[in-house]
Amino acid sequence: MPGKTTDGAAGGICRRCKENVSVLVVRLEPLCQECFARYVHTKAIKRLETFRVDFHTNEERKVLLPLSFGVSSTTLLHILDLHLKTQMSKTGRTGFALSMVAIRNAEQSPHTEDLLEEVRNQYPGHEYASLPLHDVFRVIPDDAALRDLIPEYTKGEPPKDQEQLARLINSLTSATARADVLSTLRARLIVEHAKSTGCQSILWGDSTTTLAEKTLAETCKGRGFSLPWQVADGKSPFGVYFHYPLRDVLKKELVSYIGFAESGLSSLVHEPFSGATQASTSSKNTTIDDLMKQYFESVEENFPSIVSNVVRTSSKLEVPAGAESDPRCGLCDMPVPGGRFGIHGWGGYQQDGIETAAVVGKNVCYGCTRSLPPSATTTTRI
Amino acid sequence: MPPSICAVCKTNRALILRPKDHSKLCKPCFINVFEAEIHHTIISTNLFQRGERIAIGASGGKDSTVLASVLKTLNERYDYGLDLILLSIDEGIKGYRDDSLETVKRNAQQYDMSLTILGYAELYGWTMDQVVEQVGKKGNCTYCGVFRRQALDRGASRLGVKHVVTGHNADDVAETVLMNLLRGDLPRLSRTTSIVTSTPSLTPSSGPVADNTNIKRSKPLKYAYEKEIVLYAYHKRLDYFSTECIYSPEAFRGSARALIKNLERVRPSAILDVVRSGEDMARLVPGSDEGCGGACGSGAAVPAEEEEGGCGSAVGKSMASVESQLAANERAAEHNLETEILSKPAKPTPPPSATSTKGQKKPRAERTGGPKKKGPTKQVMGQCKKCGYLSSQEVCKACVLLEGLNKNRPKNKIEVGYEVQDVSLNSVRDELEAATLAAEG
Repeated sequence: MPGKTTDGAAGGICRRCKENVSVLVVRLEPLCQECFARYVHTKAIKRLETFRVDFHTNEERKVLLPLSFGVSSTTLLHILDLHLKTQMSKTGRTGFALSMVAIRNAEQSPHTEDLLEEVRNQYPGHEYASLPLHDVFRVIPDDAALRDLIPEYTKGEPPKDQEQLARLINSLTSATARADVLSTLRARLIVEHAKSTGCQSILWGDSTTTLAEKTLAETCKGRGFSLPWQVADGKSPFGVYFHYPLRDVLKKELVSYIGFAESGLSSLVHEPFSGATQASTSSKNTTIDDLMKQYFESVEENFPSIVSNVVRTSSKLEVPAGAESDPRCGLCDMPVPGGRFGIHGWGGYQQDGIETAAVVGKNVCYGCTRSLPPSATTTTRI
Repeated sequence: MPPSICAVCKTNRALILRPKDHSKLCKPCFINVFEAEIHHTIISTNLFQRGERIAIGASGGKDSTVLASVLKTLNERYDYGLDLILLSIDEGIKGYRDDSLETVKRNAQQYDMSLTILGYAELYGWTMDQVVEQVGKKGNCTYCGVFRRQALDRGASRLGVKHVVTGHNADDVAETVLMNLLRGDLPRLSRTTSIVTSTPSLTPSSGPVADNTNIKRSKPLKYAYEKEIVLYAYHKRLDYFSTECIYSPEAFRGSARALIKNLERVRPSAILDVVRSGEDMARLVPGSDEGCGGACGSGAAVPAEEEEGGCGSAVGKSMASVESQLAANERAAEHNLETEILSKPAKPTPPPSATSTKGQKKPRAERTGGPKKKGPTKQVMGQCKKCGYLSSQEVCKACVLLEGLNKNRPKNKIEVGYEVQDVSLNSVRDELEAATLAAEG
C-alpha cells in the first residue's frame, strides 16, 4: 500500500515545486519524489525544535533511539542521520548525539545482532547497543515490585534473569497478556538503558498510525489513566523526556518514503509484514494490539485525518495534578492516580465468583492486573 | 468430562458461560449475580432517593425491558421505596414502533406500572415517517435523535417526574468512548461515562416555559454487558421486541461497534475495561472539573445536552464526512503551524513549569505541560427562545430542525452516508447460543 499512486497523480505536476512530475498523492496534494521526501523530513524535524544546535553550551545532549528494525524506527534513524549531517555541514557541530538500542528476545538473539551490524555499517558514527529483554531484571533494583510478580520467586536465591523472564511470561494466560507484558518490559528496559547511558530523551519511532493504535489499544486494555504519558511529547514519569518525531507522519507515508529512498534503507527494514496481522479475529492468538493495528491500517487508507485526529485528541489529555507523588504500578511503573490498584473497588466491580479468600492486592494498575494471572496480583493472607 | 459445577453455589450444574468473565454459573446464580451487580451500581452511586418517582424510558427493546424488570425486582427486594413508571416515545415509524409499543403495553401490565406514550406527532407535529418523506432516508437520524432527547424530558416533566432512567448498557458506553476518541470529541468523552447526566438547574426561568430543563438522566445498566442483558431476558422469559430501526443505521457508531465486538471476542473483560478507561480519561480532559466519571458517586451530574444520543444526533455523521471536515481543518492548521514554528527559539526541552507564560505562542506543538490550557469551550446553557428547552444556542436544535422542515426545505445540510458494516442483533444471538453451555453428559 505504498501511498496513493493513483493514475491521476502519476504524470501530473507536483503541487509544491510546480516543476517535476508527481509520483503520489499525499493528503490530496500530488507531489514529486523530492518534495515528498522533504515533506516527511520537515514533519519529523519540526518536532525536534529542542534539539537544534545550541551555541551557548558545549554540553553534548544525547538522545536514545530504540530500534525495532520496523518501518518507523528505521526511517527515523535515516532522517536523523541526514539531519545531523546537515547540521554538521552548516554549523560545524550537531545539536545532539544519537545512540541506538535494539532489544532482543531470547529466540531471535543472533538475528538481532546481524541486523544491528547492518544498520551500523550503513549509519556509522553513532553509538549502538543491543540488549536481551531479560536484562530488565538486571537493571531494576533488587527490591523492585516487579520481582513480586514472578511466580515462585523467593528472596533467598534469585533465579537467573532469563529464568525470571521465562517464568513471568509462562504464567500469562493469553496472547494479549503476553504481548502486553513483553512490550511493557521492553519499554522499561529502554528507559533504564537511557538513564544509565546518560540520554536525557528517548525518540520513539511511532508514526501517527501506531500512536493511534496505541491510544485505542491502551484504552481497551484499561489503561486510559496512563494515556498522557503514552502518546504525548514531554517529560515522562521516568526521569527522561519522550519525543515522537514521526507523530505527524502516517505509516503508509513512511512505507512510501522507504519505497522511494535508496535501496540501502529498505534492505534494513525487517518488519513482520502486515499479513501477519490480517489473521482471523477468532484466532486465539490475536491480541488487542493486533486488532487495533488491523483497524487503523484500514482506516488510514481512506480516512487519514481520523487517524491523526485520534492522536491529536489523546495528546490533549492532561497529566493529573500530583501525579509525581502518586504510587507506581509494579509492572508498568506508571503513576496510578490515588493508588487505585487492581480491578476491584470501583463502580464496575464484578463478583468474579472465583475466590472469596481474604486477599491483599499487590500494587499493580488496572490494565496490568488484567494481563497478569489472578495469583500474581494477590497473595492469600494466611 | 464431569459436568461443570457452578462457580458460585458449587452445587448446581453450570449452564451459563458468563460473557463478562467466562465464569461458569448455574441459572439462578447468574440471575443473582446480574441483579447484585446492578444493585451495587445503584447503591455505590447513590443513584436513587427514597420516595423518588422514576420514569423508565421504555422502547420495548431488550435493554429497557430488562431495566424495568430488574428495577422492579430490586425495588421490592431492597425496599428502595421508588415509584416506577414507564415512559415511551412514539417516533411514528410504521412497522417498527407500532410493534414495540405493543410490547411496552404488555410490559406495563406485567410489571404493574403506569405507562405514558408520547408521540412525535403530538410534540412536534411531524412523525418520523413524515420526516423521512421530506428529507429522505439519509440523515434523518439527526432529526430522530434530537427530537427524542427532548421528548423524554418533555414527557417526564408532563408527568412531574424529575429522573429518567435509560437502558444504555456497557457496550453502548464503551462504543461511545471509542467513538469519541475517533471523532476527537473531548467534551463528550468527559461526559459519556458518567452514570448520571442532568440538565443543570437554571435560575428560575422567566415566562411560562415548561419545566423540562431540570430532569436527571441516568443509566443503571452502564456496567451490564449487552450479552448478559440478552441472557437475563432469555432466562427470565421477559417479553421484549427485537428489531432494529428500519431507517439508516449510524455509520460511525457502526465502526466502533464492530470494533467492540471483536475486542470482546479477544478479551471478554475488554468492554468493562474500556468503560473504566473512559472514566479515568474523563478526569484528564482539560478543564473538566466534573469529570469524575461516575466513580465519585452521586454528586456528579454533568450537562446532558445531546450526549450519548443512542442513535441519531450529530453522532450520526458518516466517517467520510468527518474525514473531509478534519482534513480541511488540518490543512488550515498546517499553514499556521509552519509559520509559527519558524519563530521558535532553540531550547532544550524545558521542564513543565518553565514554559509558563513566556512563550508567547500557544503551546500547541509541544506537550511539555506549560500553563494550564483552557479546556475545550464549555457549553454555556441557556434556554431556547422558542420552546424554552435547555440549549447552548439561542434556538435549540429541535426548533432549528423543525423550522427547516416546516419551510419544506431542511436547513441542515444532509450528508451522504458512508455505509459501514453494521453488527446486528443476530450476531449477538448467535454468540448467545455459543455462550450457553450445552448440557454435558
